[in-house]
Amino acid sequence: MAKIRLEKINYVYSPGTPFETRALRDVDLEIKEGIVTGIIGHTGSGKSTMVMLLNGLEKPTSGRVLLDGVDIWEKPKEISKVRFRVGLVMQYPEYQLFEETVAKDIAFGPRNMGLSEEEIAARVREAAGIVGLAPELLEKSPFELSGGEKRRAAIAGIIAMKPEVLVLDEPAAGLDPAGRERILATIRKYREQTGGTVIIVSHSMEDMAEICDEIVVMLEGSIFMSGSTAEVFSKAGELRRIGLDVPEITGLMLKLRDMGVEIDTIPYTVSDAVPKLMKLLK
Amino acid sequence: MNNISFGQYYPADSLIHSLDARFKVICAFLYIVCSFLCKNILSFAALLASAVILVAVSGIPMRILLRALRPIIFILLFTVVINMFWTTGETLLFSWWKIRVYYEGIMNALFIAVRIVVLIIGTSIFMTYTTTPIALTDALESLLSPLKVVKAPVHEFAMMITIALRFIPTLTEETNRIMAAQKARGADFTSGSAFKRARALIPVLVPLFVSAFRRADELATAMECRCYHGGEGRTRLNVPHCRPRDFVMLFVIIAFGAGLILINIYGVGYTMK
Repeated sequence: MAKIRLEKINYVYSPGTPFETRALRDVDLEIKEGIVTGIIGHTGSGKSTMVMLLNGLEKPTSGRVLLDGVDIWEKPKEISKVRFRVGLVMQYPEYQLFEETVAKDIAFGPRNMGLSEEEIAARVREAAGIVGLAPELLEKSPFELSGGEKRRAAIAGIIAMKPEVLVLDEPAAGLDPAGRERILATIRKYREQTGGTVIIVSHSMEDMAEICDEIVVMLEGSIFMSGSTAEVFSKAGELRRIGLDVPEITGLMLKLRDMGVEIDTIPYTVSDAVPKLMKLLK
Repeated sequence: MNNISFGQYYPADSLIHSLDARFKVICAFLYIVCSFLCKNILSFAALLASAVILVAVSGIPMRILLRALRPIIFILLFTVVINMFWTTGETLLFSWWKIRVYYEGIMNALFIAVRIVVLIIGTSIFMTYTTTPIALTDALESLLSPLKVVKAPVHEFAMMITIALRFIPTLTEETNRIMAAQKARGADFTSGSAFKRARALIPVLVPLFVSAFRRADELATAMECRCYHGGEGRTRLNVPHCRPRDFVMLFVIIAFGAGLILINIYGVGYTMK
């Protein structure tokens, strides 16, 4: 069942001026409910534009965005309701923190939804738990936190709105390996606790392989290919042709197979690859 | 993508775009002088014709140029009304109650309107529409450099303007990004009372200031790392060159001004006082 469906979406920046740029052309896409969908592509391939369309921050030049089968622009005045249902964590979300304390900042979204104080407090605690922020951090100023903590505080601000779809644009960009691992853990925990639909934009094939059920590859404003993670990463040749890559471990296994080693299915995460490699070594 | 689309610069491949920015600043100044030299109907007609030629040569669509006039519509109407009703003359055209409209008043209003419109169009074509803000600051630095003799910090001043201009698109983009991020959390910037809307800007202004200070710090460090020490002994990346066409343009404008003076001397028709 499609949670979100994009129909013939076109998006043009600054139409009618010398700066006119076509960011998306005739995009048709279905995002399935209850799974993690990854979007990969080069800088400028239209990924970030596309995620801004999903919650109505941008309006497509032509085409429709359907959420549960209903056009989100049917009632333009109620677009903010769509934003509570599709929670978007933008790139470098730590730069949007502004409140005196972390708890107040996480509460900003729920407060805008008009919830009761008790409900807000409960949601702040819950969201902080999912992203792994210690309770004593909640009373600190957001500007005192470390980079990774700020990032997770910002993500908690969206999770606290309990959106039906959580969209994350480059959630691990610019973090150290430990910070990155905690972000991935956050997403896994969020999936376990809520079972919600998740969409992730990323450059990192390793992250995508670890966490995504389905992957969409974008190229110059169009969908280049899409399918399950295994399907997409099995097409290493095509991905490399457009300048993208497969996870390193997949690359290694493909190379081994080319050298004549017998491998039945090519794994795309290290944990899947370990038993196969162990078997080869015996 | 928005890096150069701020201000009014309109990229095109025209004669005026290709002129040296320093000459364009001087030409704009001389053109202003020209518009004030006009006194009678013939010289104003010549001024109007020159503006039409400028527009045609600059390759900037009329639609874009009219946008430059939008902010001054009120001033334009105001001066026209004042001149029309408060000028006294010899030929009374129309009189009702306390309002008297003279032929001289109509002509004055018309002349002033033409002068203002041509002034705006002329300066925008020579400067803002065809010259990037950075080129414009460089030109000003170069034109003001004689002041260095009296120890005026011309280079530092130009550098400040350049940096400020450089950061306008960056901060605009940043503002849009932060606003989008807060909108994604349900912030509403468009409804409610003025007080409520001002309050709604806090979630945008706090992160914006934090990021502006961070950027200023980073830029200062980056400049120090590259041994920036002010203007002394500094050479330029883009050395401006004047070409024959720059001097031709300058000559044309001066000749135009001289022509206007001649028209005034042998003027025909109504002459403005």
